[in-house]
Amino acid sequence: MTLLDYSYWITQFLLALGVLCAVYRVYKGPSVLDRVISVDVILIIVGSVMLVEMAYSGSTDYILFVVVTAVIGFLGAVAIARYVAVRQPDSEDLIRRTEEQARALTDEPASEPETPKSPWGSGALPHGGTLLEDESTSWFAALARSGFVPKRKQDDDATEPPPGSSPDGPDDGTDNKPGPGGAQ
Amino acid sequence: MTLDTVLDGTAAVFMLVGGLMSLAAGIGLVRFPDLHSRMHAATKPQVLGLLMLVLSAAIMWRSWSWVAIALLAWGLMILTAPVSAHVVGRAGYRTKHMRADLLADDELASAVDRLSRQRGVRREVKDD
Repeated sequence: MTLLDYSYWITQFLLALGVLCAVYRVYKGPSVLDRVISVDVILIIVGSVMLVEMAYSGSTDYILFVVVTAVIGFLGAVAIARYVAVRQPDSEDLIRRTEEQARALTDEPASEPETPKSPWGSGALPHGGTLLEDESTSWFAALARSGFVPKRKQDDDATEPPPGSSPDGPDDGTDNKPGPGGAQ
Repeated sequence: MTLDTVLDGTAAVFMLVGGLMSLAAGIGLVRFPDLHSRMHAATKPQVLGLLMLVLSAAIMWRSWSWVAIALLAWGLMILTAPVSAHVVGRAGYRTKHMRADLLADDELASAVDRLSRQRGVRREVKDD
């Protein structure tokens, strides 16, 4: 075996280790954004495997796949990140408001509505939807337990502005949760 | 030691560096505590690792015509990686996918507080 053979096998082993670590982060990742960047890394490593294979065998078969891989990873990351950036404050406000309404109706502690149905399904939430143990979303559980009452829109803004005053404010308190496609 | 041996050795070293960059990204994705530090780790195979592997492939091909296409792939990655990193980082900051206790200084927090106080878009939650 020459030096290139050793380098080829060691590099493929290192790339496989990188893919395994990224897959672990996709499985374990507490938020959808961690999964997005991990999937991005997986896509780039797949392109890297193609490049290494081409460099070893001397063929140029997969170079267009490498180009397409670069573009596809960019599009997926941007689309999902935009979706999270638009959606998550709305869903949090909806969840917070429905929790407050449920607590005002039933006068129960907020143990039961800690498992909200997010618009993107329960797969994006860690531990099967319970937001209790996760460190990156524990501020939300703490806020839900703290008894923070959001103010309505007809209250004037002399105090702190209400958290749920999104531009589509008047109907999202009574309406159902919109689907992932966005019913607005 | 002919020229072919030198070129093969250079390509092998570049290939190993590219593989090490991917391994560093994987370890960083597993070990780092929050989203933005994981993003810092995830950009390693995007730029430097892919450049190393593209150079390795270009050296092994020994053909100038394919080098342009290989560098096109790398250039596309250079152009698109900041866009996706910016968008993902902004989304992560806005939805608090970070650990503010690990930050030395959060210079964006004052601007976000001022804007959210003016427009009332969303109350930024401080983790106390």
